[in-house]
Amino acid sequence: MSRHRLTVVLSQAQGKHPVKRGLEESIVAALIMEPGLDVSVVPYLYDLGPDHTGRLFLESVAGDMVVLSWLYPRAAFWLLDRDGIKGHLGETQLKPPTADEEDEDDEEGEPEAPKGIGAVDVPDRFIYCLDLRDFNTADPYVEEIRRIAAECRTRQEEKAKSNAKPVMVDLGIPLAASRSPDSFGQPETTNGKNGQASPPTFAPEQLLTTPDRRWYPVIDYSRCTNCMECIDFCLFGVYGVDSLDRINVENQDNCKRGCPACSRVCPEHAIMFPDYKTPAIAGAPVGNISGLKIDLSRLFGGDAKDALAQAVTERDRELVNDGRTAVGMTVGIPRRQAGKPQEPKDELDNLMDELDKLDL
Amino acid sequence: MMGKFAAVLPGELRYAKNHMWCRTTDAGRHRFGFTAYAVRLMQDVYFLDWQVNAGDVLQHRQTIGHIETSKAQSDLFAPVPGTLIEFNEELLKDPTAINIDNYGAGWLFEMEAADAGIMTVDEYYQFLDGNWENTQRLLKGHM
Repeated sequence: MSRHRLTVVLSQAQGKHPVKRGLEESIVAALIMEPGLDVSVVPYLYDLGPDHTGRLFLESVAGDMVVLSWLYPRAAFWLLDRDGIKGHLGETQLKPPTADEEDEDDEEGEPEAPKGIGAVDVPDRFIYCLDLRDFNTADPYVEEIRRIAAECRTRQEEKAKSNAKPVMVDLGIPLAASRSPDSFGQPETTNGKNGQASPPTFAPEQLLTTPDRRWYPVIDYSRCTNCMECIDFCLFGVYGVDSLDRINVENQDNCKRGCPACSRVCPEHAIMFPDYKTPAIAGAPVGNISGLKIDLSRLFGGDAKDALAQAVTERDRELVNDGRTAVGMTVGIPRRQAGKPQEPKDELDNLMDELDKLDL
Repeated sequence: MMGKFAAVLPGELRYAKNHMWCRTTDAGRHRFGFTAYAVRLMQDVYFLDWQVNAGDVLQHRQTIGHIETSKAQSDLFAPVPGTLIEFNEELLKDPTAINIDNYGAGWLFEMEAADAGIMTVDEYYQFLDGNWENTQRLLKGHM
C-alpha cells in the first residue's frame, strides 16, 4: 500500500447553477473511484471564514493537495496562502483549450518569480489549483489529477530515497472506498456524493454548510513588491503589515463589497478580487485572457474612467456609504503618479492598460 | 444602430444608459428590464444572480447582480439610485423569458426611485448611435 496519498478538494460554485453542480458531481463521482486519492467537497473557497469546517479541514491537510475551484488558479493559490494553507505552487498541465500556443513562458504565479517578494514559511508540499471553468466535462480533470498523483508519488519517492527521513504524516486523512493501486478501470460502485472520503470530524454536512458571501482582496506575493501603496490608498483598514513588515490583508471583512479600488491602484497588479468580473482583477493567468466570454460590465455600467480615477470614485462611494467624507484625490494617491520611472511591462501590465483604454 | 442590425425599442418605454428599459407602473414604481439591444449582445441567458436583496437602498451604478449568457457575462448595475422593491422571481427559476419576451415577462426588478437620467426612446437611439464605435471596440478587444 502506498503511503503517498493525494488530497483532492473540490470547492463548489456559489449559488445553485445546475450546469456547474453537474460538473462538480461528475468529477467527484469519477475521482472517488480512483485509488490513492482522498476526495472532499467544500463550499466556495473564497467565502470560507476562519471558523468554517471546510476551512478547518483544509488546514488539517498536510500533504500534497489538488484544489478544484471556480476561481483562477492564481487567485485560489494565494487565497489559500493567506489562510495559512501554504505550499509550493504545483504546475498544472491543464490549460484551457485556447491557451495552447503561448505557454512557452512559465506562468507568473510561481512563488519564485523574481518580481515579487514571494511567500514565507512554505512547507514542503505542493498545492495544485485547477480552474473548473476551463472544461465542461470531468475527463480532463480526472486525467490531470491522475498525472498529478503520479508526479507527487515520484517526487516523494525520490525525496524519501535522498534523505531517508520519515514521510510526513497526513493528519486526519481517511481511507477511501477503493484502495487497490491497480484497480484503474475496474472501480467498485460508489455513490459519488455520499461516498466521499472525509474524516469523521469533518462530516460532509458540516463541510458543506453554506457560508455567507465574503469580499476581500487576495495578494499575489509572486508579484507584490511590498510598495505599500495599497495600505496608503485603502481607508478602511483592510491592509496591515506582519511581523516581517510584509504587507498583508489583515482585516479581510473590513473590505467593501464590490469595491476593487486597491487592485486598480496596485502598480504590480498583485491584488486580486477573485469574484470581480474583469478577468485581470479576478486573477486570470497572465497572457491568457482570450477565450473567455465577453465581459459586458463596462457596457452595462455606463461610463468608465482610467484606473486611478475609477479607484478614487469607488473609494469615495464606500466612504460616503460609511457616513464618512469623500476624499477624492487628496489621500493615499500613488506616489508613482509623480513620475516614477516605468519598469518594463509584462503581459499583465499590458492587458490592464488595454482594459483601461476602453473608455466606454 | 447596431451596425446593420436594428433592435426593437418600444416608443412608450424609457431607457437607462445601462441598456435597461423602464416602465412606470400604476403604483408609481419603476419596472426595469433588458432592452432588445442588450439581449442581442448577450444572446441566450443561462444564469441570473442577484447580490442585493429586496428592500436594499441602491446607489446609482452599484453592482446588484450578475448574468451569464451564451456569449457574455456581466455584472449588473443599478440603473438609477433608489430602493429595490422586488425581483422577478420567475427569472431565477428560468431566465429564458429575458430572451423570449424581454419587454414583458422578462422584466428584471422594480424600484422606487426618482427617474433622473432616464432617456426617451429618441435619446436612447442617439446614445446607442454615439457609442457604437466604442461598443465594437469593447467587443473586439475581448475576442
